[in-house]
Amino acid sequence: MASSDILELRQVTKEYLGTAAVKDVDFSLRKGEIHAVLGENGAGKSTLTKMIAGAVAPTSGEILLEGKAIRFANPAEALDKGIAMVFQETSLIPTLTVAQNLYLGKERLLNRLRGVYISAQQFFQSLNFDVDPTALVSSLGAAKKQMVEIARAVHFDARIIIFDEPTASLTPEEKYYFFALLRRLKQRGVSIIFISHALEEALDVSDRITVLRDGQHVITADTKELDRDKIIRAMVGRTLSSDLYGHRQSARPYRRKVLSVENLTMGRMVRSTSFSIYAGQITGIFGLVGSGRTETAKVVAGVLKRDLFHGGRIEFEGVPVRFRTPREAVRRGIAYVTEDRKLEGFFETMTIGENIFVNLLGADKNKTEIIRKSDIIEAGRTWIEALKVRAIGANARVIELSGGNQQKVVIARSLAQVPKLVIFDEPTRGVDVGAIADLHQIINELADSGIAVVVISSYLPEILSLSDRILVARQGRIVEEFSAGEADEERIMYAAVH
Amino acid sequence: MANVFTLAADRFLGRGEASVAIPPMDGALKPNSAVDKAEHLLAIARPDNLLRAGNSVLFSSGRKLLAVSGNWSRPEPVVECEAEILATASGPDGSIAVFDEVRGLSLLDISKRSMVRRNIARLPFASVTAATFRDADTLLVCIGSTRNSVTEWQRDLLDSEVAGSVWSVDLRTSEAKPIAQDLSYPAGCIVLADGKSALVSESWKNRLVLLDLDQKKAPVPVLTALPGYPGRLSPRARGGAWLSLFAPRNQLVEFVRRERTYRRAMMAEVPKEFWVAPALSSGASFSEPMQGGALIQMGILKPWAPTRSYGLVVALDDHHSPVASFHSRTGGSRHGLTSTVEYGSGLVVASKGGDEIISIALSDGG
Repeated sequence: MASSDILELRQVTKEYLGTAAVKDVDFSLRKGEIHAVLGENGAGKSTLTKMIAGAVAPTSGEILLEGKAIRFANPAEALDKGIAMVFQETSLIPTLTVAQNLYLGKERLLNRLRGVYISAQQFFQSLNFDVDPTALVSSLGAAKKQMVEIARAVHFDARIIIFDEPTASLTPEEKYYFFALLRRLKQRGVSIIFISHALEEALDVSDRITVLRDGQHVITADTKELDRDKIIRAMVGRTLSSDLYGHRQSARPYRRKVLSVENLTMGRMVRSTSFSIYAGQITGIFGLVGSGRTETAKVVAGVLKRDLFHGGRIEFEGVPVRFRTPREAVRRGIAYVTEDRKLEGFFETMTIGENIFVNLLGADKNKTEIIRKSDIIEAGRTWIEALKVRAIGANARVIELSGGNQQKVVIARSLAQVPKLVIFDEPTRGVDVGAIADLHQIINELADSGIAVVVISSYLPEILSLSDRILVARQGRIVEEFSAGEADEERIMYAAVH
Repeated sequence: MANVFTLAADRFLGRGEASVAIPPMDGALKPNSAVDKAEHLLAIARPDNLLRAGNSVLFSSGRKLLAVSGNWSRPEPVVECEAEILATASGPDGSIAVFDEVRGLSLLDISKRSMVRRNIARLPFASVTAATFRDADTLLVCIGSTRNSVTEWQRDLLDSEVAGSVWSVDLRTSEAKPIAQDLSYPAGCIVLADGKSALVSESWKNRLVLLDLDQKKAPVPVLTALPGYPGRLSPRARGGAWLSLFAPRNQLVEFVRRERTYRRAMMAEVPKEFWVAPALSSGASFSEPMQGGALIQMGILKPWAPTRSYGLVVALDDHHSPVASFHSRTGGSRHGLTSTVEYGSGLVVASKGGDEIISIALSDGG
């Protein structure tokens, strides 16, 4: 162990029922460094960090903290030793307030609630986090919950903080403050382990990067020695970068207009927006958080309702439509693939087959009135094969799948309804690069087959690589349109922010 | 009865037919400057009715019919009618039909520079908007409205009249019969390759309908939600058709169309050129109506008013879907495009609002 190392893992292995999730991994963390851990879904990143945080005990191997071998029975012991973990799924108690969650486990014998709120407010201000300490956690959005989770770790004066996908639900502005916070923590000598799917973030913020693949250590190097291609090659064993995010130069030709949105208005989020969607094309919609992209898509898909008075018009296949429920939109042939797959995308404890069959029922596409187990399994099998879902079978529960495969199930549920228009909202959020390639292929094949496809993404390289035409949303309306040939990141971003 | 309640609710809520929403110009209709950058061929007052006749192009200017054979600086007069020429059509055998308000239908002998009037009973000539030959003996004629003449097209639009029709004229017997009625200002028509159906533009409904010429089926909308008022159609060499949209839609006009009292008072008291209505050209007077407003675009606060006139030609494919478009935007002058014809390697376009004939190169896009 080098003198600068605060933490070291030697030949650590973790097995579940004889299958190694992490195998013979060596890892070290220096004092005051930001160390990014990267890998595909299922590469073993979370298992590795859970062992460090005491949430999981290693099957074999050794963990050294400041040169001394340690073995934590639970996360509380790790926290006592100064190791905190901010989980991907927040571990906050929804029925308590933000401040109560912040002080949970650090309560004094006599707590004055007002004092707790004041000190929590001051603490959030010191972190530049805009969170109301008196708000119930259940009333917060995903980004704010993540902020409270981060603040909790910092509040515990941890020497080592592990962040598992911390930025997945943060807005660009919040990310900016989060990275500034990371750098401040680093200056204070805190060591940080940072798990992310966003390679640019890792390259931007970290000092060193470790890549895992299939539970094994592939590479650890200084960030300045690595680039995007090298990391992806290490993650998936091949170069995907140019395939994934190459700039589309030629667009598919215009065909029939499938959707015409005219002066659509919904509260303050969608303000008299107008655009058209064509069959056999991928229309990318880019916009920053709050630009009204998702709300517009949800109105089209019948999830939200437009304004009652002068809410505008939507024509689908030449017919004016006004959906009261998503089911009406589904029956007309509009599928919306949600950005929040865990909350809205699937029933996590149901099997793949059941999840898909539910959508068949919703679209009245089931073969008979009688629900048969064999039909459910057949539906599952068909789509597992079609979309190359990695699962043990149609009876696998969706909760058991990796993020990328869960997303494929969400897509399968929509495609089973035989849509004419598919709206993908952040289709590759929280998905590893290997699965991204598969998902992009699926999206392209849909457009090639003549289906109208909309891809909403806040990741510009994805928009540029997929889209035949790009619409830019700002302040609730579409403000600019680019063809595939004329678009570049700078022009799109300029239109999105000015 | 339910329909009455629905209409009343729509009117109250501003939705359905009572909506003042306008389709966007995007995708294949994304604005460009192709019309403004197009080659200038000829400056002439109110050019219209472009037509191929052998190696020549015929066009009208007011009462005159003129011809050009390559040299656009020297158009040759062919004939002069007693009133403004409303529509022309060329048949497969080279015969040319000319409609004017006074004489109605005449057949032109281009070599003799003379016309023979054909007396067609029942056909309301003052409202002829377009004509095309179905075969050598049958002419299809669009009647925009039986309530208003062609020159009163803005009144017809504001009153949302549905008094248009398409007629079939048998030139052997000089008999005419309507093959589609109750259309909302049909202003262009083209016979499709099968010879049994025609594509007709229904201007005030902003759509194209497919007409069964044997009248076995009702007209079927094939292209809807156009952002302008569709007019004439002409054949496209690559397949499909060229569609001229002679004026743009805007929310102010849509609003006025729904405000009966205001609209009637305006039409009764205000000179026509200052009506809140689309026009073939605009900007001649500061008294013209504008829908004032402002928006921040690219960080700059811009005063804004939608244009009353615009220049737009759309290329349609074999499935009647737009695949490309050529524009003269608000700041341009080549507005009110009413007629097109492919000639040489370009698309010759008549800008009736801009008093100009231009040629758009078809190397790409068209």
